[in-house]
Amino acid sequence: MVKSFGRIFTIVKQHRFRLVLSQVMMFIAALATVGYSTLIAPLVNEGMGANNVDAALQIGIWMLVLAVIMGICMAIAASQAVYFSQGTAYVVRKYLYDKIQAYSFENYDHLSTGNLMVRLNADVVNVQNAMQYAIMLGSFAPFMLLATVILAIINTPDLLWVLLVVVVVVLLLMWWLIPAIFKAYKIRQHQLDGLNNTLQENLTGISVVKAFVREKYEIEKFSQNADAIRTPAYDAAWRVAFLSPLLTAVGQLSIQLAMWAGGSQIMTGTDLTIGQLSTFTSYMSLIIVPLALMSIVVPLILRGDVSAERIFEAYDAEPTVLDKPDIKPMDPEEIQGRIAFENVSFAFRRRDGELDPPALKNINLTIEPGQKVGILGATGAGKSALINLIPRFYDVTDGRITLDGIDVRDFPQDNLQQIIGIALQEAVLFQGDLRFNLKYGDPQVDDDVMFEAAKAADSYGFIMNLPEKWDAPVSRRGYNFSGGQRQRISINRALTAQPKVIILDDSTSALDASTEGRVQNAIPEFMHGATTIYVAQRISAVIDLDHIYLLENGEIIAQGSHEELLLSSSLYQEIYESQLGGGVIAGLELEEVS
Amino acid sequence: MITASTTKGALDKPYEGASIDQPDQTPRTLLRLLGYMVGGDQRAKFALGVVTRIVALLGLTALPFITGQAMNVVINPDGIEEELTRWVLSGVVAGIIYMLFSFLSDRTFARMATNGLFKLQTNLFSNIQTLSMGFFHKNPPGDLSSNVTNDAEVVSLFYTSAVSQLLRAVFQILMIFIVMVVINWKLTIVALVTVPFLLLSIYVISRISGPAFTKLQENLGEVSGFQEETLSGHKVIISKRRQEWAKEDHEAQVADVYRVGSRAFFASLMQFPLTQTLNIFQSVFVMVVGTIMVINGQTTLGVVMSFSGYAALLSSPLAQIANLITNALNAGAGGKRVFNIIDEEPTIKDAPDAEEYEFKGGHLQFIDVDFSYIPGRKILRSNTFEVKPGESIGICGPTGAGKSTLINILTRYYEIDSGTILIDGQDLTKLTTESLRKQIGVVLQEAFLFTDTVMNNLKYAREGATDEDAIVAAKKANAHDFIMELPQGYDTMLTERGASLSQGQRQMITIARAMVADPKMMILDEATSNVDTRTEKLIQDGMRKLMENKTSFSIAHRLATIRDSNRIMVLNGGEIVEYAPHDELMANKGFYYALYMSQFKGKAPAGMGAGTVEFVST
Repeated sequence: MVKSFGRIFTIVKQHRFRLVLSQVMMFIAALATVGYSTLIAPLVNEGMGANNVDAALQIGIWMLVLAVIMGICMAIAASQAVYFSQGTAYVVRKYLYDKIQAYSFENYDHLSTGNLMVRLNADVVNVQNAMQYAIMLGSFAPFMLLATVILAIINTPDLLWVLLVVVVVVLLLMWWLIPAIFKAYKIRQHQLDGLNNTLQENLTGISVVKAFVREKYEIEKFSQNADAIRTPAYDAAWRVAFLSPLLTAVGQLSIQLAMWAGGSQIMTGTDLTIGQLSTFTSYMSLIIVPLALMSIVVPLILRGDVSAERIFEAYDAEPTVLDKPDIKPMDPEEIQGRIAFENVSFAFRRRDGELDPPALKNINLTIEPGQKVGILGATGAGKSALINLIPRFYDVTDGRITLDGIDVRDFPQDNLQQIIGIALQEAVLFQGDLRFNLKYGDPQVDDDVMFEAAKAADSYGFIMNLPEKWDAPVSRRGYNFSGGQRQRISINRALTAQPKVIILDDSTSALDASTEGRVQNAIPEFMHGATTIYVAQRISAVIDLDHIYLLENGEIIAQGSHEELLLSSSLYQEIYESQLGGGVIAGLELEEVS
Repeated sequence: MITASTTKGALDKPYEGASIDQPDQTPRTLLRLLGYMVGGDQRAKFALGVVTRIVALLGLTALPFITGQAMNVVINPDGIEEELTRWVLSGVVAGIIYMLFSFLSDRTFARMATNGLFKLQTNLFSNIQTLSMGFFHKNPPGDLSSNVTNDAEVVSLFYTSAVSQLLRAVFQILMIFIVMVVINWKLTIVALVTVPFLLLSIYVISRISGPAFTKLQENLGEVSGFQEETLSGHKVIISKRRQEWAKEDHEAQVADVYRVGSRAFFASLMQFPLTQTLNIFQSVFVMVVGTIMVINGQTTLGVVMSFSGYAALLSSPLAQIANLITNALNAGAGGKRVFNIIDEEPTIKDAPDAEEYEFKGGHLQFIDVDFSYIPGRKILRSNTFEVKPGESIGICGPTGAGKSTLINILTRYYEIDSGTILIDGQDLTKLTTESLRKQIGVVLQEAFLFTDTVMNNLKYAREGATDEDAIVAAKKANAHDFIMELPQGYDTMLTERGASLSQGQRQMITIARAMVADPKMMILDEATSNVDTRTEKLIQDGMRKLMENKTSFSIAHRLATIRDSNRIMVLNGGEIVEYAPHDELMANKGFYYALYMSQFKGKAPAGMGAGTVEFVST
């Protein structure tokens, strides 16, 4: 039933000793506790009953000794439980994150960042809590329960039924309250997600809200969402609060029951002693605590199991792009940079293993070393899919891609991605400073290379204008830089690693044509004639390249230089006309007039 | 190697500035938090909660005394069974009173707690809505919402458990103490001998675990920030083969969590065995001393029984108080951050004598306008220009020239440093922002749509817009056809991932949305830059209809988009360098001409020279 939770124990090997130690200690603590309560009867009988102060003191001292033993054992067990559960959290976080770092693009397509974040955080915390309480109380509570019942059978058999009534009543009450609490928590959590999404969306779209002056509507929407939480939150809160008075009341009522049942027996002169009666009342408190604890621990473990299952779902996902065994890296210096697609087809794989309709169909192309190539097409034409295949972010579904005649699948990924540099459309930066970000692809590189790359990427100017220059802080994802700056930093970063082939995936879209032109002109010089691939929607980004491939619906429908395409492709003409067209003619006319 | 955390300090979010290390504010914050829960219309509930709690505790306090009395009856050789039954029955009644009134009280407090949180949340959100764009610029959505969420969670815990439990614990301790003193003050002293030790242990433990938990929260925040960043940036990490770096950095952070977490939980968990042990000590003291006193004839077995009962009842509220205080301190810290936002004032407020904007054709004058986002770094410099009613203006210039800024100040998202903006003769700063923004429609590059149906997204633009308004606008914007092809037509939900809408389709919906608002002026900021050519034609057709006879601004990289504007404003380095129709600008062969020609990168049709003007982008 708690298979996944159990499996967690198998991956946490380092702390096994702690687990064993804690269980032994908890066992001794339970023994001491039970031992203590068996001494209550002698205290009353031999002390008070026999008017013997010495006996009372002696028994009292034994009681204290047992209490101290119990305390020490519990403390040791608690510390082991803490270290074991924290160690578990550490191991699970580390293993899972390390595993995620081995993921390929496809794994990320299937498990979103948000999804993984929940597994790395909330789910780990659930497992950790379950672990801590399971270790602390999981064995303590049942043992206490069992020992108390056994003692009651031996010492106060006449009152055993009272004990059993109490057990049943407590279990029934818990059965009534606990599921309701968990259900309410679940609903509340769900509604809370809704509220947080509303908030997040509102903040993201705040300029739209303000543009249409809909603040009042947004407040209304938020209020409704916040209001929806009230009922489940209330349902959970009062039950949780009521738990403790309820158990206290049951404990007190059961003492009354014991007094009544036991007291009348004593008064009618059966062989029940006063000492037995007071012992029995102490059994009541001995039994209610473990019952209550169990009712809290069991749901915790169940929740931990659900979380463990989700953790393993991510942990068991295998990277889809793997290195072949026994392949040797190539020396990047010897790479020419000839890239060829041979009958390449590609389709994204869905989570259930099925293939989507093909994103690329029968692609054949050859890019010569040092060539500047453009890939032009609309959103969804397959541009990004095409270039993602070169550094093996995905593997081809059919056909093959070669680099200098060698199948890219015969390169180790590290090696391949060192040879092929890429500046992505979404220019993500990391928290740290600029130098760290710029040298992200090659931390060992000289500052001079970074400076030269910055000049080529046109980022040198604005970086030198920053007060901290290359040490300027970068916030998470680089939000403290504008879109245009981020794109240039991203290009700068790709260049600093000095790859042999460089791919710019629509990474100049936020730049004006002139800046873009300057960057495009500077890159070959910096790269000493590396193969360069530009992906773009804007015709001006590819207009002066050696060769342009025009992509539509996953197929190359035209290729050639700008001049050739203007003559051969009607779609290309259409794009040209729309993006640059009429004004040229207008300009020409003016030219002639003046 | 520079790790991701080295520069953290420099990047702390502004509103966290007034941070946790000012303990003197905490009581005031807590009182203010309490105000939301027990103040105003909640006062009657609060009174009810307190009264029921006191009644419940009276019942509880009576119980050990009753048990003791019953015991006395039992051990008394002359005791009669009816008397025992009477005591037991009154014990049952007291128990039921305790249970019933606790039930009432807990429900009342839970109600107050959820109401209080609701009030706090809506207050917070309402105030956020009033804040100016500058605030959102400083506090990115992710950070702001996660802070708000976490803080609300801590406050929620304070409301739902701390307040009522603290009250219960304090009442319970007081009442039991009084009863014990009344019954037998000597035994009271014996029963309370362990209390100072308990309190001391609570104090010591909370001093260790409190800061450790705060630190743990910080560390966890740091780790999840790092995880979020590296997972969403996975493409960069994979392409740059930096997985090992991510793993190492992550492990170091997780190891910190382990260290701090172990310390925090270890300290707090020690309370459990300590309390248990001290409890037993307490009972043993009471029983042994009580036995001796019984033997000496100073008291009865019943009283001793009552006392060990009271001692047991005392220990749990005492132990609770420690947790509750930690909880309250956390809530104080969270509350402080919440109130910082609630107390944040919008930087742009309507003047007290602000007037409604009266539309008189849309005549616009900028006179000597200066603007900077960060003081001292001017984005716009002494801009003076005029836009005639109904004129369409294209705006272009290199990256960072101040194109979008111009729009931000026209809609009063930001306030200008100096100069005057007149709109139909009225000073912009003397108008209510609401009346101004209702007349200015904006379509942005990023086609932001809400998670809602297409219809609701369209109607979002204007309060009271009807379905017909929305459909008419969608038809005009060329969006109607594809909307009808969606699974549920206009009732299709647009999920976060944008259903299966393409970028262009989303943009068409935003244009239709702007039409629903029926503004008198229009601003289009790079509205078609992410769209393919064929879709762009449809969009531009829609936009033309939208801008008909309206004063309009259109910002674009692709100069073809703004070529047909009445006049084109060319910005460079925060200044207007040219301002004329396209043909005139081309003929002048100035900056615009260079910009235009740079698009061809030397591939311009014969007869057109390449641009030679250099310009600086920032």
